[in-house]
Amino acid sequence: MNSGIDLQGSFIQTLTEFGLPQDVARALWIPLPMVLVVIGAVVGVLVTVWLERKVSAAAQQRIGPEFAGPLGVLQPVADGLKLVFKEDVTPNKSDPWLFTLGPILVVIPVILSYLIVPFGQNLLITDLNVGIFLWIALSSIAPIGLLMSGYSSNNKYSLLGGLRAAAQSISYEIPLALAVLAVVMMSNSLSTIDIVEQQSGYGILGWNIWRQPVGFLIFWIAALAECERLPFDLPEAEEELVAGYQTEYSGMRFALFYVGSYINLVLSALIVAILYLGGWEFPIPLDQLAGWLGVSETTPWLQMLTASLGIIMTILKAYVLVFLAVLLRWTLPRVRIDQLLNLGWKFLLPVALVNLLLTAGLKLVFPVAFGG
Amino acid sequence: MFNFLKQVGDYAKETVQAAKFIGQGLSVTFDHMQRRPVTVQYPYEKLIPSERYRGRIHYEFDKCISCEVCVRVCPINLPIVDWEFDKETKKKKLNHYSIDFGVCIFCGNCVEYCPTNCLSMTEEYELATYDRHELNYDSVALGRLPYKVTQDPMVTPIREFAYLPKGVVDGHDLPAGAQRAGQRPEAIAAQSSPDDTDTSD
Amino acid sequence: MNLAEDVQLISFGLLGVLMIAAALGVVLLDQIVYSAFLLGGVFLCMSGLYVLLNADFVAAAQILVYVGAVNVLILFAIMLVNKQETFKPVGNRWLRQGATALVCVGLFALLSTMVLATPWVVDTTVVLTSTVVQIGKHFFSDYLLPFELASVLLLMAMVGAIILARRDFIPEKMATDTQDALTLPERPRELTGTVSDR
Repeated sequence: MNSGIDLQGSFIQTLTEFGLPQDVARALWIPLPMVLVVIGAVVGVLVTVWLERKVSAAAQQRIGPEFAGPLGVLQPVADGLKLVFKEDVTPNKSDPWLFTLGPILVVIPVILSYLIVPFGQNLLITDLNVGIFLWIALSSIAPIGLLMSGYSSNNKYSLLGGLRAAAQSISYEIPLALAVLAVVMMSNSLSTIDIVEQQSGYGILGWNIWRQPVGFLIFWIAALAECERLPFDLPEAEEELVAGYQTEYSGMRFALFYVGSYINLVLSALIVAILYLGGWEFPIPLDQLAGWLGVSETTPWLQMLTASLGIIMTILKAYVLVFLAVLLRWTLPRVRIDQLLNLGWKFLLPVALVNLLLTAGLKLVFPVAFGG
Repeated sequence: MFNFLKQVGDYAKETVQAAKFIGQGLSVTFDHMQRRPVTVQYPYEKLIPSERYRGRIHYEFDKCISCEVCVRVCPINLPIVDWEFDKETKKKKLNHYSIDFGVCIFCGNCVEYCPTNCLSMTEEYELATYDRHELNYDSVALGRLPYKVTQDPMVTPIREFAYLPKGVVDGHDLPAGAQRAGQRPEAIAAQSSPDDTDTSD
Repeated sequence: MNLAEDVQLISFGLLGVLMIAAALGVVLLDQIVYSAFLLGGVFLCMSGLYVLLNADFVAAAQILVYVGAVNVLILFAIMLVNKQETFKPVGNRWLRQGATALVCVGLFALLSTMVLATPWVVDTTVVLTSTVVQIGKHFFSDYLLPFELASVLLLMAMVGAIILARRDFIPEKMATDTQDALTLPERPRELTGTVSDR
């Protein structure tokens, strides 16, 4: 596998050629991918909101947003603007500090998790050794924010919603982590880059979904529960809890929750794409194709092509999964809290454990196919 | 031991079945995505109300004989008939008549029982106002005829379910000569006229 | 100057100050919910210190276990039992506080003399291999016994929790004679064994 394009290296090199010291060039580089990823995440949210509304409309034989821009693509922007200009109410007798801090604590870990999402061989912010484990750890901060906002709202629905949300995300973290562990066991590394590399080489046949079908399902169910998507959206079940922990929020603070939940959805979809659907890999192994056609791996245009195709493939896979989540939303009714916990503890957890054990066994028996 | 294995097997079978049902549900939802939206873009498109639509009540002042039957049959005695007895002509003289559509439930009893047919149902349903007192229609307002949906140049009329051909559920993009299901009233009249000798009236 | 070293120094200072402030808040604040949330802040700062020590796995595990599980459990406990209750001021409160402060300052002095007196050896070797692999190797070679003991302890705690939570098996003989006619039949609080003893 060639190293592909090294954007950081070339950027720093260009700046040092202009006469800047190496350190300054590096310091100038550092914020660039972060800003890019934050912008990408926000744009991703806008796209997801639009997609959700359009797909929901189609599933219910409606039209959906239509008048704001062509096909209503500007509708999420309009929604966002509305939320920005809306009055930001702090309820009476609430705790203003915790009330403000809650949504922030929910959003920041989700955005931080984009650190480890690779869009290509070198197209990620940092290739951490603990990679995917960092995502699991960061996603466990969110319940604190939910509890905080639920507690500080001075509202029984908020408190119950916050407690439910925290209980839900704690109990689904475990099957999630176990499903990830099985994948990690096969790739011998927690780094997202290594996990994708381990799936590369055979095109669509090498993807982890064929080796971990059960793990894929467990992960996707648990990820939906972590994002509080519809079959599991009981922390904000309208019929019981008004809007759960978001009940008292309005304006920008509500927008933070809203953005956070959608970023989380896109992030989960991206992580599923990385863990099970081969990340940036094209369904046909491009390198071998280039080899057969007699194009060298180091040809600049080929590298450009693979890099851009990688970004497109990652996002495409993620959005296919988002589409699936929206379809699931209109297919399945909401589960009750006891069904939710039963599913998490009595079904997903044992199945995930068996899956882990099987993976370990298969790894010992067939080290070629399951990562030696 | 076998019992336990059987339990595990049953559980697995149930799980597979649940997964199958979820898959079926997903396919139904997915199938819905390719269907044409049934949305009627309301201010630009409007449904043609059906023949027996019970909309705002129309009232003809000149036909009214102030008998107050409408008041008596009304569930809440809503119509207000303001008349006085004219001693010279020895007849009731009607001064005002009004119905408050903020309270009316559009049951149509008054229309049914009106002896002179001065009350009738229109197909008007856009009664929104800024003040609920504006819904209290007097005899002049009650006498206005509503604008027909089919004649409004701003509006694309969409046929309602009753006017659609058999098996069609969507009023958009109908072929030009599409007729509604069943026979038209003229056809029924033409069919029954030769042998209506046994009329009982 | 090296950029990385500067960043390290500044973030160490920030984390240290934040952590001390948060820890003082945990102890000194009146409202217990604030203390619990600040405890989460202390754990987060601690994991930041681990990151500065190149122990990335431990840092992530610190967040996962302490912030994600322990702190959330504490918060759960507080929120489920939180009765807004004002306690009666205890007489001679300053005495108790003074004694506590004395003990704490004494401990702090002891520890700081220990820190200052010990000739620390600075290990300059940089471990470049994955920390996860190293931790795993240590767990299954020289730290095997503590590791296994800890897992047995956790298993025992889990079994105990399950037994506490699974009170729902109803005894065969419902104690109907002792119940009032107008109260709802309630499951007995005790386990089956103790009920049959009565």
